Parts: sequence; C-alpha cells; structure tokens
Amino acid sequence: MTEPSTLSQDRPARHVPPGTAIALSYRVVLRQLTSRGRIIGLTLLALVAPLSGWALGTSDASLDDSVRLVASVGLGLVLPIVSLVFAGAAIGDLREDKTLVYLWLRPMDRWPIVVGAALAATTLAAPITLVSIVAAALLTGAGSGIVGGTLLATVVGLVVYVSVFTLFGVWLKRFIVWGLAYILIWEGFIAQAGPGVARVAMRAYTRSILVERTGADLDLADYSLAMGVVVPIVVAGAALALASWRLSHQDID
Amino acid sequence: MSELPPPSAALPPPVPVAEATALPLTSGARPAPVRGMIAVNEVSKFFGSVVAVSDVTFAIDDGVTALLGPNGAGKSTLFRMLCGLTPPSRGAVDVLGFDPRHDRDVRGRVSLVPQQDALFDHLSAASFLEFAARTHDVPNPERAAHEALTAVDLADVGPKPVGQFSKGMRQRVKVAAALVNDPEVLILDEPLTGLDPVQRRHMIELFHRLGDEGRCVLVSSHVLDEVAKLGSRVLVIAQGRLVASGDYRDLRELMDDRAHRIRVGASDPRRLATALVERGLVSGLSIDDRNVMVDTLDVDAFGRQVAAISVELGVRLTEVSPLDDDLESVFRYLVEGR
Repeated sequence: MTEPSTLSQDRPARHVPPGTAIALSYRVVLRQLTSRGRIIGLTLLALVAPLSGWALGTSDASLDDSVRLVASVGLGLVLPIVSLVFAGAAIGDLREDKTLVYLWLRPMDRWPIVVGAALAATTLAAPITLVSIVAAALLTGAGSGIVGGTLLATVVGLVVYVSVFTLFGVWLKRFIVWGLAYILIWEGFIAQAGPGVARVAMRAYTRSILVERTGADLDLADYSLAMGVVVPIVVAGAALALASWRLSHQDID
Repeated sequence: MSELPPPSAALPPPVPVAEATALPLTSGARPAPVRGMIAVNEVSKFFGSVVAVSDVTFAIDDGVTALLGPNGAGKSTLFRMLCGLTPPSRGAVDVLGFDPRHDRDVRGRVSLVPQQDALFDHLSAASFLEFAARTHDVPNPERAAHEALTAVDLADVGPKPVGQFSKGMRQRVKVAAALVNDPEVLILDEPLTGLDPVQRRHMIELFHRLGDEGRCVLVSSHVLDEVAKLGSRVLVIAQGRLVASGDYRDLRELMDDRAHRIRVGASDPRRLATALVERGLVSGLSIDDRNVMVDTLDVDAFGRQVAAISVELGVRLTEVSPLDDDLESVFRYLVEGR
C-alpha cells in the first residue's frame, strides 16, 4: 500500500494513455490466447491449404484451377476460421471467464482495449494463415502472380476478419457459432445468390484482389483492386469502432 | 425513459436498527438525496421482469461497512452498480461525487474485489499485481505490487502462476490487486470466502486498517459471524431491498430480543407442553404426534430447564433443535417480522 495520506477529493485523476492501454491489452490477451491446443489444432487445419496446393501442383492444373483452390480453401476456409477462433476469443474469452473486469474497471478508454485485443489475435493468426495460404499458392506452381495476389488478399482478409470477429466476441455470447454461421452459411452459400448479396461477404473482396492480380476467371469477384482493398479496411475500422462502443455500453460480469 | 415494471414483492419498510445511516424511507414527501463517499439514491435494477435490487437508498463514508445478505439477495448486483459495471434501471449511484458508469476518472480511485474466482491464471502473483498497477497508471508498479502483496502476506509467494494457487491464496491476490492503486473506495464482494481462520482474521484487520486510514471500505458477506467481526456498521439486504441498516450491536440485540423457535421431540409432547406453559417458559407453541414446537423469549432459561422438566415428568426427550439460528431466519425476521 502506498501513502494513505493521498486520500482527498483533490487527488489528480489517473488516466492510462491509449498507447500504454493498447500495449497492456495486447500483452494480456496474447498470453490468454496462446494455448498449445488451440495453436496445434488451427495449424493442422491450416495445413489443408498447402496440402491441397501441392496435390493440385502435381497435376496438370490451369491458373484458374489454382486461383479457385486458393480462393476456396485458403481465403474461404482457413483464413476466416483461424481468424474467428483467435479474434472471437480475444475479448470473448475474457468476457466469459470474467477477467474482463480487470481491464474494463480501469481509468482507460475502451478502444485501446479492443485494438490491443485485435492486434493480439492478428499476431497469432497471421503466421498460421499467411504461411499456409501463400505456401498453397506457391505449391500450385501457377507462377509469381498468384503468390503476390494471395499475399495481398490474405493480409486484407486477415485485417477484416479479425476486426469483425473481435466485434463478434465483444457482442455475442456464442461467437464461434455465429462466426461459423457467417462463414459457412452467409459467405459460403447465401453470398453465391448474386452480386447484391455478395457485397456484404468479405470473401467477395479478397477474391476480387486475387482475380485482379492474376487475371484468372473466378465468380464472386466483381470488384476492382482498389475496392477490394479499401472496402475491407473501412469495414474493419467500423467493426472495431462498433466493438469499442459496445464494450463501453454493455454490462460486465 | 420508458416505464419499468414495479418491484414484484411488496415488502414492509426496513427495520430501523439504529440512528447511523438513517434511511430516508418515510412516506409522503420525496426524501432529499443522501450524500457520502458512496451515495445510493432510490436505486433499482431490473433484469427483464426480475427485480434484482429494489428502491435502495443509503450513504456511507470512511470506515468499514458490512453489507449482509443471503445468496441471491442482490449484493453483487448492487456492487456492480457501485463500480459502474452495470447501470441502475432507476435512481442514482454516486461514488466520490461521480457517476461510476460514465465518469472514467473515478475508476482510478475505486477498487473492486469481485466475487468470482477469476484471475489471469498464467501470471504470477507479482506479475498480476504489476499488471493491475499499470492498468491504473500507478507511477511505480513494481513497488506498489510488492506492498500490496505484503499487505496480504503473499510477498514471498514466488513465481508460481496464480492458476496453481489455492482458493484462499487466489482470494488474497484479488484483494491485493484491489490495493495497488491506493483506492479511496474499496468494494469487496465476499472477500473472506475460502480463507482459513487465521487469514480471515488478518484480512479483517487489514480492512479495519484501511477504514481507519480514511477509506470507504464496503464488504459483503452472507455469514452473520463474519459481519460481527467486520465492523459496527451494517447494511442488511434481502430480496433486493435494504431491510435494515445501522450498528451491528443493535442488530444483534434486535435478533436476541425476538422469540426463538425450538423443536422438542418427546415421548409425550402434550404432557411436556402443558408443563412448559405452566412454568412460563414459552410464548407460544404447537404440538404434533412427536414434537412440541416452542416459541421462547429466553432461550437460555428454556435450555436449562427443559431437560429437568422432562425427567421430572418421566417424558423421554428425543430432540431439542433450534429452528431459527441460521441466517435465513434473521433475514426472515427482518423482512417479514416473524
């Protein structure tokens, strides 16, 4: 205990600067998310991408086939699921195990908590997704264009999925179920219905980047490169802002 | 603001235990808001149609105040509102002159020991405390952490992660974490749970020391004996309502003055009952095939004489059990007057 004589109404208010708050949130969430089981499980899932890329590469596959594989297995499955598990749990786990109170009940803004948590999720999801998906593109043997496009699409997809699923973790109790429903039902099924619906599927933007950089023929990829990059970044910012607002206004256990 | 459902239970006004923390609950004109380091004015909290806290008003200042109530009485909900973790549905909560839900700066001056056993299990006690200090922007987090750990007798606990600690040690880590920011208001939700008697005594001494330093220390418990040791000021909450407030000794006296109910199992309950009434040992009774249910104002005299009377009558006693020595009966008495 420090000096009790400091008790007075005039005591200067303490306020944790945003940079410090981001670092504190980042460190504690990163450590909370780092479980051996989770990392091994997701790495095994991610291995599906290079494995299928290698299998395709050994056959006489076209560029379109290679792009389709990267788009469906890498960008459509591995990337969103790995992002969901880490980003949803970033604040969702703190909320569920009731440790969120140790960040929430502090003289700091809410947005640095959210940003720190999203950065922690990105730190863990990035190596798994980037390595596996880019490796898949490489192993298809379809040239350097697909590798560059895959790298850019994965980075953009990672940013938007992590942000959106961080929001899910803040807002929803069963964030994994809702996240899977979004990935498998909305993006995987409903978004196929047409360009109007596809506009709210992040997959359409990452696929567009891939198509723009390779010239391959792929459905659900109707946007320009600029749109493919800018829209997901705007959505990511909006999701983090909404998550911060929600964190400020929700009940904490 | 939309109209919220009224409290479901129509309870009588609280039993006035003493003049301390007099409750402005008289009928008629709207009472003036109470003021203090913690001021709670006509606060209610609803979760859907469930009334968790109903029209609670009190104010407390420095020193230790105990909040006594059975499980589910609304203590934790009240504490969550005091810390701003959830807003009141009605009324106003004021901590050090601020709204704890919306005024960010007051959070550095208030600490909560939550009831739930949640810690960052991978961290050592020192790391957890340093983390807590940094999240309060404490200038020297290492020193603050060490001093807080010393205060709860955990300074020498080493680098073991708190996930491997016993329940009692975890509880002490939580209390230490609440001390690192040198809080003016300390809110402790069942902090003695899981502690052994020695640690419990140390912890109670610590709370008193903190109160003597001018801090407002509010401690909840559902154990009457704990409250007896915690402090002379007590708030009693039951079914979401404040049913009594004031000095603990007055509460105890009030409890001792009421009729106590005792079940006496006997081979001839009717004969025993007649003798008990004739000797003026009971204020009321009922009889069934094997038992006499006795209400007595002098439980000591009753205890001394019932065995002698049964021997005298040749009646065999099979059981003498107090039925209202538990906390529930205390609350029942305070809430329902029986």
